[in-house]
Amino acid sequence: MSLPDRIDPRPPRRIYRWDLDKTYLQTDFDSLKDLLRTAFQKAHEKVAIPGASALIRELSENGDSRLCIVSGSPKQMRAVLEEKLKLDGVRWDEFVLKDNIGNLLRGRFRALRGQVGYKLPAILESRVKAPAEAEEVLFGDDAEADAFIYSLFADLIAGRVDERVLSQVLEAGGVYPDDAERVRAAWKQIPVADPVRRIFIHLDKLTPPAHFTAYGPRVVPIFNYFQAALVLLADGHLSAPQVLKIAVEMVQTAGHNIITLSNSFQDLLRRGLPLQQAAVALSQALEGPNKLLAAMRPMPDILSAFSKRLAALGTPPPPPPVQAVDYVSLIHHALPRNHKGRTKP
Amino acid sequence: MGGMVVKQPQPVTIAFDVMGTDHGPAEVVRGAAQLSLDSPHIHALLVGDRTLIDNALAETKHNGERISVQHAADFVGMDEKPGEALARKPNASVAVAARLVAEGEAQALVSAGNTGAGVLACARHFQLIPGVRRAALATVYPTRSVRGAKEDPFSLILDVGATVEATADDLVTFAVMGSQYARIISRNERPKVALLSNGVEPQKGPPRVVEAHARLSEMKDINFIGNVEGIDIPKGTADVIVTDGFTGNVCLKMLEGVHETVVELAQYAYKESLRWRAGLAMLSSGIQRIKDITDWNQYGGAPILGFDRIFIKAHGRSKARAIANAGKVAAKVVANNLGSSIREGLQK
Repeated sequence: MSLPDRIDPRPPRRIYRWDLDKTYLQTDFDSLKDLLRTAFQKAHEKVAIPGASALIRELSENGDSRLCIVSGSPKQMRAVLEEKLKLDGVRWDEFVLKDNIGNLLRGRFRALRGQVGYKLPAILESRVKAPAEAEEVLFGDDAEADAFIYSLFADLIAGRVDERVLSQVLEAGGVYPDDAERVRAAWKQIPVADPVRRIFIHLDKLTPPAHFTAYGPRVVPIFNYFQAALVLLADGHLSAPQVLKIAVEMVQTAGHNIITLSNSFQDLLRRGLPLQQAAVALSQALEGPNKLLAAMRPMPDILSAFSKRLAALGTPPPPPPVQAVDYVSLIHHALPRNHKGRTKP
Repeated sequence: MGGMVVKQPQPVTIAFDVMGTDHGPAEVVRGAAQLSLDSPHIHALLVGDRTLIDNALAETKHNGERISVQHAADFVGMDEKPGEALARKPNASVAVAARLVAEGEAQALVSAGNTGAGVLACARHFQLIPGVRRAALATVYPTRSVRGAKEDPFSLILDVGATVEATADDLVTFAVMGSQYARIISRNERPKVALLSNGVEPQKGPPRVVEAHARLSEMKDINFIGNVEGIDIPKGTADVIVTDGFTGNVCLKMLEGVHETVVELAQYAYKESLRWRAGLAMLSSGIQRIKDITDWNQYGGAPILGFDRIFIKAHGRSKARAIANAGKVAAKVVANNLGSSIREGLQK
């Protein structure tokens, strides 16, 4: 096991867990050709999703957080992935990759594509080492089972899922007995707490947002990382100037503009996320003398665009209701995409 | 050595009147959602009942960066009288959408709702292009011929109802507007323009048609081919057929009636005799090909011409594909600056 890349004597107040492929990196592995190209890409050829590295950097600026990466990429890609993260100025605390060669040699073919038996024990074991009071925000995508696994992780440590349901899920998810045992062992060591604040699902495949309604308002499907930044501003994880820095990177490097940003803002409002105060904070930040914001001119137009999008909706919609997640009925979300039990989103 | 620079299309926002269509708001939302996936430079502004729109969007694959919503509490139904309905419902979706276009929040309006209400809303919020006295409602009709780089099988007929009694001036204006529109949409540099009359000779028809014929014959920038008769419409003799709103509307309804009768006759033949059914089966691939070529869903909609802003009227029975295509037509018209082209055409 590799040592952490940095040693911070302070216990983390916040933990940010990230997936890599399709969450942080623009990755295509839908065909064998894509898979091979991804496997042989050099670090500088890999492309981060617009705003992702800026978001990670801004979150780590606050100083008392940890970045834990759990990726389904094989361990053999560690060097190139670490190099890519360093190129992007991303510093991490944990970086777990999948032992696909080991799985292959041991004939564990289900584990090659299975997500539950890999990610769930990995993030539970990571949580064992965390202070009970450390809040968590998780980032995944809609390509595999991130919404399911992250929600199950949150509800397990909050004591909202019992052993019987866990066993049903592990069995239906095709988890090997030793991985299931790792899940149970780690879970029992974690003090009951409710630390998971948000689960962001990057809509790489543009899965309709209603697909995630069953997971409740904690899961926020996002079209881009400006949306994540807005929610994290409202949740108190970022300041308004930090959100604007992320927006600047997206405008300068990925062709985003006032329309895409204001549409993204309104999209979240329409889904019932309370962002009115965040919009006020952004407008105050834009009025300040900050040099970075001067570079955004005529971005102050964004104020007017945001106000119009807000006014266009009339009365703000109510927040979505909090509900218990029925993991047994949602297990098909956690199965690999070509599994016969998986239903189409 | 410099690489080839690929010109990115300018972003354009199209306002969609979501309400009042035959298939309901969800179909318009699905069309706009499809557009958000297909055309990165087109942004959709959906105008209508926010809850209905949000529910439909949440269930539909779309790109949220390219869609916004403007709530409008009311809408004009298909069977309502446009003037009365808009007076009673100033915040009807089509009126709100037209206002947003006039204010510059979007560059064009697409509606599959009540045609009269659409035209009236535009008349209230848009300005007529200088030199245009009356707007013209155009429609497209499938023909035997194809035209332009796109091999477009549709000809454009205008006016089909906006200006019941057109003067010679109006007919000349309609010819210029139709010609500029066909040039952009069919990628047809010199569309053939004709006047609809009761004979091909220049002196045939009422005085306004005769006068318009004389004046169009003098205009070098218009590829005027003279008069055509009703029989020439399905033949595709002309790319743009100009007439007054009364005649155009009668003509359009008759063509639709003929089409429906042919379909009914084919259904009758199918049921009546095994031999006829076998014949129809043998022709089925050809019939399907004709259906594909003349499928109005691929065209999306037709314009109201003469205003300084763009209005594309989609068919009331439009499904998602037709709505998406109407949005593409609107974006293309905006990108090619139809208003300026018409202004220039009228000054020549």
